[in-house]
Amino acid sequence: MRLRHIPWAIALVCVVLGFMLSMQFKVQKQVALKDLTTYQRAQDLAQQLEKAEQERDLLMQETEQLRTAIRNSAPTADVAEQLELAQLHAGLIPMSGPGVVVTLDDSTRPVQPGENPMTFILHDEDVLLAVNELAAGGAEAISINGQRIIGRSEIRCTGPTITINGVRTAPPIVITAIGNPDVLESSINMRNGIADELKTWGIQVSVKKESGVTVPAYKGSLKLQFGQPAKQEVSKQ
Amino acid sequence: MWIVLVGFIVGIVAGVLSPFTFPVIYARYLSIAVLAALDTALGGLRASLEGTYDNGIFITGFFTNALLAAGLIYLGDRIGVDNLYLAGVAAMGIRMFQNLGFIRRALFTRWGLLKQHQTGPASRPDSSVRG
Repeated sequence: MRLRHIPWAIALVCVVLGFMLSMQFKVQKQVALKDLTTYQRAQDLAQQLEKAEQERDLLMQETEQLRTAIRNSAPTADVAEQLELAQLHAGLIPMSGPGVVVTLDDSTRPVQPGENPMTFILHDEDVLLAVNELAAGGAEAISINGQRIIGRSEIRCTGPTITINGVRTAPPIVITAIGNPDVLESSINMRNGIADELKTWGIQVSVKKESGVTVPAYKGSLKLQFGQPAKQEVSKQ
Repeated sequence: MWIVLVGFIVGIVAGVLSPFTFPVIYARYLSIAVLAALDTALGGLRASLEGTYDNGIFITGFFTNALLAAGLIYLGDRIGVDNLYLAGVAAMGIRMFQNLGFIRRALFTRWGLLKQHQTGPASRPDSSVRG
């Protein structure tokens, strides 16, 4: 047998081989565990979501009942409170609180010959998307370049400017939103969200969290030409 | 032969007891390296049974094969050929099976279970009474 020739080198090689094999088993166990935990986490989250949705439905029912009770009860000092609450939601009084300031601006990249310059400037859709994301993030009040956004507000391109509440304004567009600063910031900055999408076109997006911002009141006309308060209860949607 | 087994067990125990774990992101590369190492080890075993064993070739081959295999798969990932991994596994697998086949045949021959083909006439009645 030629095994005499092979002691220490072979031994070393075998030790290394054994070591590598046990490492490999350990790593594989981790990989399997990781897959399992991801799946479990997804299940946990789905259950939590269902529970939260049920809770929300119950609370919505309760709110509806309470609101009906208020409407039917005799109005006294509550009226002033109700009025302020209504005005707050309608955007008729300024609101202050923590939130974010989102700044959108045109791309500063010089346009190459043959490229359409329209693709690199800020459009009304971009502002609309940002406002939508903030609203989805739970923003309680939003104002753009000093214009409070209410249910009737439009955000529309007019040539090189954007018209909001009938007032023309030009980039840089500063959107102030009141809400949870972390949630609002991540609603803009999340992966494949607004910030990523706009940055591919070179549109400058910056989000800053603030501990105290003020959103001005709606300054537009409050005259209603067509609508009237509906006297009957609107049936449950 | 026993040194092989002892070394192997020492290696496994060292790996199990070691606090150091391989980062999971590189698990693919470690797998192919282990496969290449196993293949080289089997190749060494075959060479020793064949009589063509060379220490230098075995030792260097062991480490370079493992590193090269992992390196090749890494390169494959970088250039976009993710499934080069499959080619590596297939190549190592084929070699391992070939080596195993050869080792089996050599061991059978060595242990006299496989009749060696004689160069002379087929029947030799005297051979069975040899001491």
